[in-house]
Amino acid sequence: MRFFYSSLLDFWEESEIKISKYYPLIPVYAAYLVLFLVGFTVPGMWQLMALLAFYCALGQSWNIFMGMTGYVDFGYVTFIALGTYGMALGITIFYQSGLGIGIIFIGLFLALFLSTLSALLEAGIALRLRGAYFAIACIAINEGLRHLIEGTRVWGGSEGMIFWQELVEAFGRETTIQLTTFWVDLAVLIIAAIAALITIIFMRGKIGYALTAVREDEDAAKVMGINTMKYKTIAFVVSGWLGASVGALAWGLKLTHVFPPDVFVIHYTVECIVVVLLGGAGTLLGPVVGGLIYGLSKYWLAVILPGFQLLIFAPIVIIIIVAFPEGIIGLLKRKAKGTRFEKYIM
Amino acid sequence: MTLLKLENITKRFGGLIAVDDISLEIETGELIGIVGPNGSGKTTLYNVISGVYPPEEGRVIFEGRNITKLPAHRRAPMGIGRTFQIPRPFSSATVRENVAIGALFGTLSGKVSVDESLAIADHYLDLIGLQAQKDKTAGGLTPTDKKLMEISRALAMKPKLLLMDEAMAGMHPKDLDDMVNFLKKVAEEENIAIVAMVEHIMRAVTGFADRVMVMHRGAKLIDAPTAEALSDPRVVDVYLGRPSEVKHVEG
Amino acid sequence: MIWQLLAGNLTHGLLLGAVYGVATMGLSLIFGVLRVINVGHGPFIMVGAFVTLTIVTALGMTPLVAIPAALVMGLALGFVFFYTVMRRLIKAPEFTSLLATFAMGILLEEIIRLIYGPDFWGYTWDVGRITLPMTVIPMSKVYAFIASIMVAVFLYFWFSKTRTGTAMRTVVEDSEGARVCGVNVGWIHALSFAIGIGLTVMSGVFLTMFIPVGINPYMGGGYTLKAFVIAVLGGLGSPYGAFFAGVIFGLIENGAYVLFAQIPGVAPFSLTVSLAFWMLFALLLFKPTGLLGGK
Repeated sequence: MRFFYSSLLDFWEESEIKISKYYPLIPVYAAYLVLFLVGFTVPGMWQLMALLAFYCALGQSWNIFMGMTGYVDFGYVTFIALGTYGMALGITIFYQSGLGIGIIFIGLFLALFLSTLSALLEAGIALRLRGAYFAIACIAINEGLRHLIEGTRVWGGSEGMIFWQELVEAFGRETTIQLTTFWVDLAVLIIAAIAALITIIFMRGKIGYALTAVREDEDAAKVMGINTMKYKTIAFVVSGWLGASVGALAWGLKLTHVFPPDVFVIHYTVECIVVVLLGGAGTLLGPVVGGLIYGLSKYWLAVILPGFQLLIFAPIVIIIIVAFPEGIIGLLKRKAKGTRFEKYIM
Repeated sequence: MTLLKLENITKRFGGLIAVDDISLEIETGELIGIVGPNGSGKTTLYNVISGVYPPEEGRVIFEGRNITKLPAHRRAPMGIGRTFQIPRPFSSATVRENVAIGALFGTLSGKVSVDESLAIADHYLDLIGLQAQKDKTAGGLTPTDKKLMEISRALAMKPKLLLMDEAMAGMHPKDLDDMVNFLKKVAEEENIAIVAMVEHIMRAVTGFADRVMVMHRGAKLIDAPTAEALSDPRVVDVYLGRPSEVKHVEG
Repeated sequence: MIWQLLAGNLTHGLLLGAVYGVATMGLSLIFGVLRVINVGHGPFIMVGAFVTLTIVTALGMTPLVAIPAALVMGLALGFVFFYTVMRRLIKAPEFTSLLATFAMGILLEEIIRLIYGPDFWGYTWDVGRITLPMTVIPMSKVYAFIASIMVAVFLYFWFSKTRTGTAMRTVVEDSEGARVCGVNVGWIHALSFAIGIGLTVMSGVFLTMFIPVGINPYMGGGYTLKAFVIAVLGGLGSPYGAFFAGVIFGLIENGAYVLFAQIPGVAPFSLTVSLAFWMLFALLLFKPTGLLGGK
């Protein structure tokens, strides 16, 4: 009996130590919970909640690669776009299959599949390069893929695809409306939560250490025994999966159409950059804070000064880069060192 | 079995011959010094051994395995560790995390957890005297502390062969003696062969190395036990210099 | 029949290629001296296009006047951006300068959109045409070609014969060494950036002389991709390489367009653009230092 208790206690002690590693998730999940509750209970707030959840999810996904490796993927929007296409294909191909909600999951699966293909192709070529060349390669992919789709007239070519009708046929009007206005936004919030979990697991794990080394001094990292290509690729693919999921849901399922000039727009990459830079690249809480601030600003700006968002945010990005590169959470982390808040801010 | 065998290593950069037909054998636990003026090819040789680039000619054999073309990151887990002349810390990480990286990806790679690596880091930081700086950001250390951290990081890799590049440069004679003793002790306790490369600090070499290889313009001038090597007339002529003679500056 | 079409297009490609080349020389120069990739390259070309538009339509003058105007504007922009932003990022991690130039490009697009609106503009400049056996070429394109060649030749002499030009080359080789030799590296950085931007904006004028339609705030993005391909083809950091690579690219692009147009059921223009992307990937995979050498 005693033995049982002591081993149970041992187990609790061990896991206690492990659980405390995940304290930094508490502020993140608290924020998401508040977001959900406010959106759910206060009338009319759900749309705003959806927007904020979108930017938080996007920021966290982008941060997994850019924040940890220091490589800027200017073509990140490609993943979001491919995710949208994945969902579009899933719905338009399978809507008469009688699989019900299954077609949404097929859409998600296709999104992940397409994103993996693209990520591995990109990784094989672009990730072997450094900084500048990598940036060029990424921009090239974005433009190239878009024009390839438009040029070969595949997947709807430059007209894209609309699949509202298919959804209604598969689920009936009522359910479709519910899906595209409630469940999809909730799903995006869940993706954000998953992204946060993955971020902290990476950061605390071997891959986090490897990528820190890569970011700081890639050649020294190699001499230390780090297989830089392997770890960069893992982060890249995972970041792509999350981006594709967000695209599949927030663009595909929600808007029920996909249109190349809309989805391949490099401006969405700018938004990722703002969100992550503002909050603090490479931190856990950063993209959440950045997402909330940016989402709110955008929403507010859209009301009072429509069309001016980029004009205002472009110089803000420049100012942050020059004066304030560690972002809000980066600054907070420094200030919190040595205080009891330290273990919650990551 | 010989730990490291270099067979006729030649490394060229365009028309420049940086390393010229160098052969060398190092046994487990040996303490070797590589000595030579700036530009004699020492760092290039290190780079070939640690895998930064392959040689044009020759082979690198480590523990019987031909690793000449093996990528750099595969050599660390085999047991080849290295410090750099100008320390290369991972600036935004803490000292402890820096050293833990050594443990995570060195010979213990795949066998040790992140927590265990941090514990190993603590051990070496205590050993070398940096325990007070453990949680400081590596980028903010003094140059001397950066060098010490660099060494701890390399030791945390649990290497079998440690290549040290000008580790003693800029050190006060007293610190230098401490460092030499420290390295000798660690080498013996953990059975590491240490190759220390120095440009002109003879004190480091004489107190430390059993054997010395003198390099000149990429080629090996001599490879012999320390006292013998340093008193060889060729070495004295080319390198240590005769004070009464007027010397022209070498390019 | 197709051969005549091909020959005609290739001629156009040759002329356009020279313009592409000059447009990319700025990019290569900035990278060579500052090790910075101007990710906002295309938008600067767009600015030059709008300068031309304004001068022709609002002021009623010939586009030739726009050439020096755009150059001056570009130099000014370059100096301003350098001293306010870029100078502070020289020591920072690489991605900061990538992001900064990217944001600059976006800012330019938005400012122009604020002033001119998002619609497409164009102008006409009819100065006659030349009739060749395989095709008819408007003189405006010929002027653009000649101007591009002149700029390239001028730069060649400037880099090799003048003090400042030589100083720039030394900084490309080894900035520390240059500093030790007494070169004011800080000033060379600023000047190179300004000249690079100046070249880029000025090339916008040549481009509109070639393609005087489709001028809109967002036209730059496509040219950024092309410029990257050309710059890598010619060897990043080598302005001369960029020029010749530009010509090669112009030839390939126009030739490919004709060939794609023969394939039924595809949109040849879009395919041609995606061709640039495939070329870049092939280059990066096999010969990232470019076909013509460089860094």
